[in-house]
Amino acid sequence: MKSGKGLKRFSLAVVMLLVVLCGLPVWAQTAAPAPASAAAPPPAPGPKMDVPLDAKAAQPPSTDDLAKGDPGGTKTGTVNDVVPADATKGVTLADVVNQAGQNRIAINFVWTLVTGFLVMFMQAGFAIVETGLCRAKNANHTMMMNFMVYGFGLFAYWVCGFALQMGGCAPSSTLGGANPLNSEHTITFLGKTWGLFGQHGFFLSGATYDVAVMVLFLFQMVFMDTALTIVTGAAAERWKYAAFAISSVFLGAITYPVFANWAWGGGWLSQLGANFGLGHGYCDFAGSGVVHGVGGITALAVSMIVGPRIGKYTRNGTPNAMPGHDIVIVLTGCFILAFGWFGFNPGSTLAASGNGALRIGSIAVNTMLAGCTGSFGALLYMWMRYGKPDASMTGNGLLAGLVAITAPSGFVSTVGSVIIGFIAGLLVCVSVEFVERVLKVDDPVGAISVHGTNGLWGVISVGLFADGTSNYGGSWNGVSGSVTGLFYGGGASQLVAQFIGVGTLLGFVFALSYLGNWVIDIIVGQRSSAADELEGLDIPEMGALCYPEFVLKPDAFGSGSVKAA
Amino acid sequence: MKIVGVLLVFVGWLLPIVTLGIAQSTGARLFLALLGIAISLAGILGVLNKIHLKSAVWKV
Repeated sequence: MKSGKGLKRFSLAVVMLLVVLCGLPVWAQTAAPAPASAAAPPPAPGPKMDVPLDAKAAQPPSTDDLAKGDPGGTKTGTVNDVVPADATKGVTLADVVNQAGQNRIAINFVWTLVTGFLVMFMQAGFAIVETGLCRAKNANHTMMMNFMVYGFGLFAYWVCGFALQMGGCAPSSTLGGANPLNSEHTITFLGKTWGLFGQHGFFLSGATYDVAVMVLFLFQMVFMDTALTIVTGAAAERWKYAAFAISSVFLGAITYPVFANWAWGGGWLSQLGANFGLGHGYCDFAGSGVVHGVGGITALAVSMIVGPRIGKYTRNGTPNAMPGHDIVIVLTGCFILAFGWFGFNPGSTLAASGNGALRIGSIAVNTMLAGCTGSFGALLYMWMRYGKPDASMTGNGLLAGLVAITAPSGFVSTVGSVIIGFIAGLLVCVSVEFVERVLKVDDPVGAISVHGTNGLWGVISVGLFADGTSNYGGSWNGVSGSVTGLFYGGGASQLVAQFIGVGTLLGFVFALSYLGNWVIDIIVGQRSSAADELEGLDIPEMGALCYPEFVLKPDAFGSGSVKAA
Repeated sequence: MKIVGVLLVFVGWLLPIVTLGIAQSTGARLFLALLGIAISLAGILGVLNKIHLKSAVWKV
């Protein structure tokens, strides 16, 4: 009877959420589209493009040559492979120029898609890191949250998240094509235009049924899903599955896209430089703030609402250690995440050709170094403070370094990345202790510290360590020149823009996440029952144990020591 | 009290933004941005978290 009521409430909440989500496109589409730009001037006269070229002058390999094979790779990919628009005319200059343009865009498409695939694989890393850090009796539940957050997030993002985030972004020169994402809802405040959210791209329909938009959608979607999966770790072992589902849809449909629009979709944070002279506006190359900050701050809000696990604190508030059940999969997951980060950061150029995109080599090395020094920092801290090099915190140190370098990776040198990563490694240890002992917020996997604290540190570090050598097409966020931080002679204005970004994460994202999850708590209830929690959530919530061949024997506070059957 | 906490968090965010037109110097903007962050943190850690700790499962 009780579960029937819960199911009714859950169904009602899902229906209400879908109504809201499906209503958004209609509401937004009624707004007037952005005025069309002035007609482009006629092209300057150039060489005749339709005159057939003398293909033989390019000395292509003969049919006989090709029949012998090409072990050295010198005969493959020649003028023979340029496809003429009119076969009867032969290859023209127009064919060659179009082929060159398409090749550049094709390189960028493939780069962006493949790096997006790498980021998607990070879901597996998050899943096993979080599951390994939880107790065996909750392993099925934790895995299933990580598994389905992908689907919940993807669906919400397709319905409205992507449109709200990127529906009014400037045309991406690296992905070419048309620009159907051209309608941003704006207001005028302090005499300036403030972009608030995009209005094109709901359901990826209409003009956004476009090859470049699809590439952008895939890449942005896997980023959004990374933010969602951060929360599942912080609230693990006591989060009701139905509440998790609704909370994830809310984050993927509303909270994440709105902040991401402000930072990446042409919104007001990105325009702080152009409008108020604050450096290049809020700069977050690959998402320390947009992805990890949003995820970590939301994790804090949800963890506060859900409350600590039974047995985590004694009656006088002293924390008990609740070790995870499998350090092997934790560290394996960390390696998977480090691998995926090579998609996260270098892929954020959205290009491997043109617009300064060859900096991908530098970005990849920065990513590698910061992860390395992050693990150094955490290992040293734990070894010096507790006498042992703690494995799970060293893994978290690696992740903290990677989180922190995500925003500055495209703007800093290797020395900067080493320092940023090392500080992140120390910071994550201090933050975990602070969250657990002072705030008494229970975070089984350290997600608030890894992603929240270090996400904010990564955002701030751009304003300090950006070295002024990056050049992505000559400008960033509509401000010409390179992003330069305080330590490299750029003054404090970039740092102020970064602090306003941090303030927005703490003030807006937290408030929205808290309110949203508070409402979910009232309607569905966020926390599982004490009996279910003590038993472990695998059977009560998921109906099956993750490790059925093992006998789970609850101890005094139900931490579930494991014995082989 | 939860509403008060959320409002405090929200005010901390708005402070440096609404003063962008008034405070022209970088130093003043930096101070206001840091003040805003401090107010938001006070709302999160000092108000909202304390409310939740009052009814924490280990105190019941």
